[in-house]
Amino acid sequence: MINEKSPLEKTGNPTTTRRKFLKVFTISIGSIVSIALGIPFIGALVGRSSSLKEKASMDKVTSVSHLSVGRPARVNFLSQEEDAYIYKTVVHSVWAVEHSSDDVTVFSPICPHAGCYYNWDSEADQFQCPCHGSVFSITGKVLGGPAPRPLDILPHDIKNGELYVRWERFKSGVPEKIRIS
Amino acid sequence: MLSRIWSWINRRWPLSDVIRWSLDEEIQGGSSFLYTFGSAILTVFLLQVITGIIQLFFYVPHIENAYDSVSFLRTQVPFGWLINQIHRHGADLMVLLIALHLTRVFIFGAYKRPRELTWLVGVALLIIVMALTFTGGPLPWDQKGYWEAEVGSNIPGSIPVIGTEISRIMRGGGSNIGQLTLSRLFAVHVGILPALLAILIITHLIAFRRFGSVGPWNESMRKTTEPFWPDQVFKDAITAMVVVLVLVSLCVFAPKPFYGPADPLDSSFTPKPEWNFLFLYQALKYFQGVFEPIGVVGVPAFFVTFLVLLPFIDRRPECNPVKRPVAMACGFIFAAIITTLTLIGYYSNPGTAPAVPPPKKEAKAPVPENVKMGEQLFRSEGCISCHMVNGEGGSVGPDLSDEGKRGRTSEWLTTQIRNPKAHDPNAIMPAFTSLSDQKVSYLIDFLMSLGAGDYRPKPEKQEPAGVNPSARTSNTSSSRTSVGTEAQEHPPSSENELHKQPGEAAYVIGNADHGKDIFELKCFSCHGPRGTDKVPNPGSDDGFVPALNPIDQDLFNKDPQIFAKNIDTFIQHGSVPSGPNPQFQMLAFGDDHTLTQQQIANVEAYILHLNGVNRAELINPGMKPVRFFVIVVPAVIIILLLLGGIYKCLPQGK
Repeated sequence: MINEKSPLEKTGNPTTTRRKFLKVFTISIGSIVSIALGIPFIGALVGRSSSLKEKASMDKVTSVSHLSVGRPARVNFLSQEEDAYIYKTVVHSVWAVEHSSDDVTVFSPICPHAGCYYNWDSEADQFQCPCHGSVFSITGKVLGGPAPRPLDILPHDIKNGELYVRWERFKSGVPEKIRIS
Repeated sequence: MLSRIWSWINRRWPLSDVIRWSLDEEIQGGSSFLYTFGSAILTVFLLQVITGIIQLFFYVPHIENAYDSVSFLRTQVPFGWLINQIHRHGADLMVLLIALHLTRVFIFGAYKRPRELTWLVGVALLIIVMALTFTGGPLPWDQKGYWEAEVGSNIPGSIPVIGTEISRIMRGGGSNIGQLTLSRLFAVHVGILPALLAILIITHLIAFRRFGSVGPWNESMRKTTEPFWPDQVFKDAITAMVVVLVLVSLCVFAPKPFYGPADPLDSSFTPKPEWNFLFLYQALKYFQGVFEPIGVVGVPAFFVTFLVLLPFIDRRPECNPVKRPVAMACGFIFAAIITTLTLIGYYSNPGTAPAVPPPKKEAKAPVPENVKMGEQLFRSEGCISCHMVNGEGGSVGPDLSDEGKRGRTSEWLTTQIRNPKAHDPNAIMPAFTSLSDQKVSYLIDFLMSLGAGDYRPKPEKQEPAGVNPSARTSNTSSSRTSVGTEAQEHPPSSENELHKQPGEAAYVIGNADHGKDIFELKCFSCHGPRGTDKVPNPGSDDGFVPALNPIDQDLFNKDPQIFAKNIDTFIQHGSVPSGPNPQFQMLAFGDDHTLTQQQIANVEAYILHLNGVNRAELINPGMKPVRFFVIVVPAVIIILLLLGGIYKCLPQGK
């Protein structure tokens, strides 16, 4: 045993030294166990439980002929989504601006400032966010408000007159466009 | 016998010591109603714990079920409405009482040595209660709660370096708000925070009992004393009683509404935080762009630092507020800042105040008189019921917002108005033969003006000559028509709608106010404002689009669930009216995903409301709220008066 090796003569009082050792020993055991279990416990709570996956397919959104040139339209479409352990078909929406029958810009409907959904004000010809008053032009440029970057453009494709979009989300509140899902 | 049990316990557990410790105190200057806020907060806290635990018997922290489980509790569990409302109003009341308690302690200088730690624990309790209101709000996963969680967890994201991580951890490991966010908020709200709060309340009480009440600042008034038990406890009980009565009154007469299920797609909802966070929300608006991180960290840090440092900066032992002008002024300014920001935040309507003025408006030329006349006719003659112009109007016919850019001749438009079938034999547009030539001319002037000044990034798409404008959408004789601003991925609904099942929305309690907004956007064109108009539907047996207000007796039902199911089938799957060739038919809003299930639930709540049925009716209330109030409140008051009378009859004295 370790405590048999304790130098009893040094402090003069064997009981005190032994007690001191027992204190250190108990506290050490407690600390080691707390750290050994505490790190995984906290890790489970603060760790990243989902990783960013590449999305292969695009979702069919609408026929380009349904859009009007120069006027943004909010279009709903179906997309497969996974949220933790829930896999389901959800409705997403995007803002599509048609320039010509084979040229469409698709904006994510989420304001790059705080993640709200913005609206098109046809009177003012602007996108306006109801949350903090950010305003964007039809090209997505920031005209005012706290938005740190232009509207996010989503990857899209036009095949046989149909518009396909890959649903992605980007980090809000920062000037850079960083994909988060 | 009782005394034997008492002493048996006390030999084994120091019960009478604990009771003596918690009740035995001589209060300098005597008991006072001013000292009752603390115990009132404790009372509300206990009520929160009890109602919170009862709610756990019914609540499911799952994004698909949370809203419906709370709705079930509120409408179908006996006294579920009371339990849920007490918990919600109790949260508000608790924050309010803490503010009063803190103000009282500040004015009495009760944070000064040796009570600094009592004050600090109190500040910690305040922060935990704020955190409880923040984490509790989203749990029902309704529109309000969802957006609070979305925006609230987004705000820390702008803090440099650690912001992203904080935001991610708040959202539950991933980057998006979703199931893990809800689970996380739930665990923190019902597990961690209440436990912390309970521990700190005990710490606060131990610290309080160690030094007792600070008493009046006037030295001479401090000489007389009264015992905590029963003098102060009596006054505490009276205040607690009043607080409970106020709480019950709020539950009965100002119940919190059903905000409608969470709908991430619905941008018409303007998220605003809970009232106790409005001051932070408003303050944040003054920090934009590069200053935003400063606001996100700085504003809350400013308020917390002020409270934490107060007992260490203001170290003079003087308690009389008259002799502490600097401290009182600072406190007043602090309270004024919070109150002002809260009020501005409360009355601000971010949706209607864009940060920059619309640049186009001043550039636009004045509208000529004939175009104005045409616009009036466009509305009065009912064109707008079917045709959308600049985001306003119906979705049955083609959107005409850029009609002026299509290169049509006025002869072409005249024919289209007078006799649409000349351009397309299958056109469903009615022939407006009775309009005078002058009116048609005004209408054409208006139509030609549309889209002329619009933004055009690329050369516009020219439609081939001779193509019917309505051919884009009204191309079949079954005439299932709508503009293409919504996805239409599903085949037209079949003829047997009545045999179809109601969808999810039928079982969800929507918000009628919100439903009204959607109704005015989507349903108005065929059913008229408030569903009262009889819009002609040539070719159908009825000759009219069915009215919704009052609705067909076969669909109406007093039971909101059955009523909602009856109309849901039509909204989900659409319907073709009987008749040889009906011009209009009900669109399949659910099948086509033109509306989300949440939006349909809201529209149904509105249609029920139009017909005098409350979608959120208490189906099994235990006792109707008002009856509950009428029985409980007088009973409490009578007992109070009786006790007061007995007290007066007692011989006065020590």
